[in-house]
Amino acid sequence: MPREVEVSVNERAFIQQALQENVRLDGRAFDAFRPLELTFGDEYGVADVQLGKTRVIARISVDVTAPLPERKFDGIFQIVAEFSPMASPAFEVGRPTDAEVILSRILEKAIRRSNALDTESLCIIAGLKCFALRADVHIIDHDGGLIDASCIAVMAALQHFRRPDVVVEGEKATILSVREREPIPLSILHQPLCVTFSCYEDGERILIDANLAEEQVRQEEVIVTMNRHGEVCQVAKYGGATVEPLALLNCINMASQKVKEISKFIQTKLEEDAKKRDAGGLMAELSAENER
Amino acid sequence: MPISILPPAVQVPIHDDAAAEDSDIEMSDDENDFAPTSKKSSHNIVTPGETITTDPQWMRGHGTYIPPSSTTIISTVAGTLHKTNKLLSVQPLRARYNPEIGDLVIGRIVSVQTKKWSVDIAGPMLASLPLSAINLPGGILRRRTAVDELNIRTFFSEGDLLVAEVQSLHSDGSASLHTRSLKYGKLRNGMFTALSGAGGGILSRRGGIVRSRRQVFTLQTASGEISVILGVNGYIFVSKHTEGKEGKETSITKLEESVSETLYSSQNDELDPGILKEIARVSTLIKGLVACGTKVDEDMIVRVYETAVDMEAEQVSMGEKLIDTAGGPKGVVQSVLARLQGGS
Amino acid sequence: MPLDTSIYPLALLRLDGRRWNELRRIHAQVSVQAAADGSSYLEMGNTRVICVVLGPAEGKDKGQRGAREGEAKVGVEIAVAGFSGMERRRRVGNKRTSEMQHCLSTAFSSLLFTHLYPHSTISISIHILSQDGSLLAACLNAATLALIDAGIPMSDYLTACTVASSASSSSSDTATSDPLLDLNGLEEQELPFLTIGAVGEKVSVLMLETRVRMERVEGMLAVGVEGCKRVRAILDGVVRTYEKKFG
Repeated sequence: MPREVEVSVNERAFIQQALQENVRLDGRAFDAFRPLELTFGDEYGVADVQLGKTRVIARISVDVTAPLPERKFDGIFQIVAEFSPMASPAFEVGRPTDAEVILSRILEKAIRRSNALDTESLCIIAGLKCFALRADVHIIDHDGGLIDASCIAVMAALQHFRRPDVVVEGEKATILSVREREPIPLSILHQPLCVTFSCYEDGERILIDANLAEEQVRQEEVIVTMNRHGEVCQVAKYGGATVEPLALLNCINMASQKVKEISKFIQTKLEEDAKKRDAGGLMAELSAENER
Repeated sequence: MPISILPPAVQVPIHDDAAAEDSDIEMSDDENDFAPTSKKSSHNIVTPGETITTDPQWMRGHGTYIPPSSTTIISTVAGTLHKTNKLLSVQPLRARYNPEIGDLVIGRIVSVQTKKWSVDIAGPMLASLPLSAINLPGGILRRRTAVDELNIRTFFSEGDLLVAEVQSLHSDGSASLHTRSLKYGKLRNGMFTALSGAGGGILSRRGGIVRSRRQVFTLQTASGEISVILGVNGYIFVSKHTEGKEGKETSITKLEESVSETLYSSQNDELDPGILKEIARVSTLIKGLVACGTKVDEDMIVRVYETAVDMEAEQVSMGEKLIDTAGGPKGVVQSVLARLQGGS
Repeated sequence: MPLDTSIYPLALLRLDGRRWNELRRIHAQVSVQAAADGSSYLEMGNTRVICVVLGPAEGKDKGQRGAREGEAKVGVEIAVAGFSGMERRRRVGNKRTSEMQHCLSTAFSSLLFTHLYPHSTISISIHILSQDGSLLAACLNAATLALIDAGIPMSDYLTACTVASSASSSSSDTATSDPLLDLNGLEEQELPFLTIGAVGEKVSVLMLETRVRMERVEGMLAVGVEGCKRVRAILDGVVRTYEKKFG
């Protein structure tokens, strides 16, 4: 089984020593994210996130299927996150590592279980037809902070995505193509975003957005998912070193600030993209969406 | 506002023989702050996380630790506290066997490598038995040769049982064994019993096999002599006693004959049913003794064995049931022990 | 929503008649399995788990040796019985159990003194016989007991419990949001809750899976830490009773 190249003993000592002197390897502040880049594809629902050297692409696709028998009024939404050997030699296809399971579990809990997407709006005819939405997360380059980057990518892609409109006549549903009717955005209830904290020296020092080397040296991670309204959607601290409860509360407070910043960033990027697409200023007229 | 956590409301009676003792766990509502040291039980029992002492004059031994930047000694296992001069150590009630130099152990060959065997001795790691640490056939104590290396499987192969002594320990705690004595070597003509999960545990409980007592002895039975080997690691072998193996002192000149082909033979001898029955009886009794938490040594085994034989004879002649066979080995030994206590 | 209806605020009694700060009955036994190095059986209300510890022993596969050089590897396997839930299922929550396995493995690797057993493996296997809420907490508690039974050194008990916030997550009125301790299966479905695993005063495991206002978390954490202390006292009692029998 290929393994991640581990940091050497003196690198480890160096990082720890530097942290004791309040210096991070790349000179960032302890509570600073790496430079975040977000670009959208030509199609709707493609988001490319770069967080330092980490790069993640999320793509949303849609299909029409029958809803699950136990959930007749809901559409289907699934998030597929797989590690490919492209990002790091440690990733192998077909054998999920712990990190991979954790990533998909966190995304599942953060976005799907917190009802970020209103799945009822994906229903076309109850019990017969619904939209099946699928978010594919591709890790292009791995330099730590995969969970944060993936979550940003999925949320940005979901907000960017437009689904085709449908016309329902009794039992018959017609999907209107993009040319016939301007596609409509998804109904997003809130925007959960993840912030990963890495703890060192038994929870004495806490970093935001560790890179790969810092991740390998850390004692434990705390993944906090929040939205900009100050709601905690998910917190995961899987064992590791013990920390004071107060430090955890600090993490949550810090996360709420960061989430607000990132939400704003995504929003501005979305607006820029919308302006670019809306070259002739015709978008408002073409849109079939009702004002609510 | 101080937060108080209420205990579970009703104590439903627990159908367990521990039920009577359960009641002494105080779970009063007003107990807001639980101090680990508040409950001192009779004979120095400690549990993980319990502060043993804050006095810096004590030294910490096994089963304890000192958190960084303090002088508090805290227990890490559940067991009894021992004080040796200024050394504090905690012996866990049950633990896996941890090899020490000089231990007599019974092991099972797990794999054969070019110059050594890996032996399961129920420790944290497999022990190794180098080819150079066994008695090679052909008489005189000689150096091993390339031929011996090729024929390594003829001495021990996978699955063979052997009795050996721990010769040395490596830095990571794994053991190296030797069988360079006629007391040691391959085991056959008998029955293996693993007192599982009780490797070192049976030692450290009040009962269990006693280290440094005689661990290899013979037992007189109606059908002949049987020998019992009590490995410190919780493995036990009961077999038919063979002359010349450990019974009489073998002189160095006779070594040649003793280290013959039969030493490494894997073929069992023909055993008559009488002795097989006695072997099974002894090993069941040992299992039962451990389950009862009683000391296991030569004296105890002999006494229990003789009483058990007497009881069976009575049972046959009187026709009444004296031995509780429904309770497994533990039940058998309990009824035997009851008889022993009643008689003495 | 039985809890958010008027019943709870009026009587302050929960579905099963407990008060907000009351634990369910915890019954535990150690050394239940003779063949294992350490074992335990734990009931937290109707949640029942059996935990078996093997090792420290030589790992099964040579390639995957200790997680880090000079430390023992802690392997965890969780098996969910098909009859444990309300509906019989053949395979229950594959990703969820592997997440729990990961959680237990990392929690105990740092709790146990793994450096004492280099190159060896400590394997914990847990069987979930019946589920009625607080599943992860029960697994953590059972594993702690089994590891103590196996005589593996650890710095302290790791005990866990669950805490919920009783008012629905939308209202921000802190006065009406009572934390509830130790949830059963029904309450777990209704309320936002977190599982907390504490070592002494410090938090080792924290899992929050439902949406809740950030102001609520503080109260929940405080109750959780106190709850863990109470669980620790109960488990400690179990260990001591056992010790008296054999000590």
